[in-house]
Amino acid sequence: MIDGSHISPDVHRLLDGEPGGSPEDRAAADRFQTALDTYGAALRLPGRDVDIAVMTAVRRRRGRARSGMFWRWLVQPQAVQLRPAMAAAAIIAALAVGIVVRQATLGGSPGVGSETPVMLVRFELAAPRAQTVSLAGSFNDWSAGEEDMVKSPATGLWTITVPLPSGEHQYMFVVDGEQWVPDPNAHAQVDDGFGQSNSVIVVGPRGVVRS
Amino acid sequence: MTERANLPDQVLVRHVLSGNVEDYAVLVERYRTQLARYAVSLCGDSDIAADAMQESFVRAFDSLASCRDPAKFRSWFTRILTNQCHNMRTRTRTHVALDDVDAAANESADTRLTSNEIGRAIEEALDTLTPEQREAFVLKHIEGYSYSEMAGLLDSAVDALKMRVYRAREIVKERLQDFV
Repeated sequence: MIDGSHISPDVHRLLDGEPGGSPEDRAAADRFQTALDTYGAALRLPGRDVDIAVMTAVRRRRGRARSGMFWRWLVQPQAVQLRPAMAAAAIIAALAVGIVVRQATLGGSPGVGSETPVMLVRFELAAPRAQTVSLAGSFNDWSAGEEDMVKSPATGLWTITVPLPSGEHQYMFVVDGEQWVPDPNAHAQVDDGFGQSNSVIVVGPRGVVRS
Repeated sequence: MTERANLPDQVLVRHVLSGNVEDYAVLVERYRTQLARYAVSLCGDSDIAADAMQESFVRAFDSLASCRDPAKFRSWFTRILTNQCHNMRTRTRTHVALDDVDAAANESADTRLTSNEIGRAIEEALDTLTPEQREAFVLKHIEGYSYSEMAGLLDSAVDALKMRVYRAREIVKERLQDFV
């Protein structure tokens, strides 16, 4: 760290790149800056494509955030004021919901309170000519349009990072909304029963075990 | 859009955090145009810089709530972008393609060749700088920022920045001595 109070004005001028007194020094400093100005002015700069890609990505995130907000509202304790009539209605509603939840639990569905570790997993697919690519798998009921991937203009690589609970998951990429392709980099493929293969990823509590 | 384009950063950040995601487009356009040259100069490649900007804006959106002082969104975002550019440059280690340094079309063929040679020499010189020297040098000599602006943007002391720029300038000058 430099303490500016101990630096003399001459040293400051040197650090600032101010040329010395001679015309040669001033001319050299001007030529140096002109070269840099020319270089900077000629650079090809990122354009509106960036804005479009960013806004496409954040709009999708908004959709997911909204469903997340609804879920938090649903499971978090709420402070409410009850009148006697409302209390009776609430008790009846709670009993009804309790019956439904108990039936679901008895049927083998995981409970809301289960604490399966969730890891962020990044998926990649090189598809430079594709218009859209999404991720579908056992973790999102094989919904083709739910996990849209983002394309890198430079590499043509489509990527997405999704939270996945520990365990084995099967997945495929959906290219241009209709072509289902397995992950060429997956460690295993299994028959999907429709003449194609599903890719397999195994997620452990500390990250991807096999992909 | 025109009215929103004039809103200050802190207002736009508040709008976005309260659910008006479309206002984020104003921030994206504002800082894409302001920081594009900086990003390309840091990355050394236009396409890599576009990727870095895209990923930085998405990351900034994801963590917007952690921007403690929305009035300083610019410096907060610049830090995210700077880190992203350094990461991506380290990963790719590519140089600016010739078409990234596009000489002015109305120059003569000889002048154009010379400009490209200087451009390539500048690229090679920038590649020899440390990340910290490169970001300071680019802001000072390519973006034309004052040291006090740089201090606000990079959250560093003016004198430390002066020293960083001085060392970078000596290295770049040495590399360009055949051209300027």
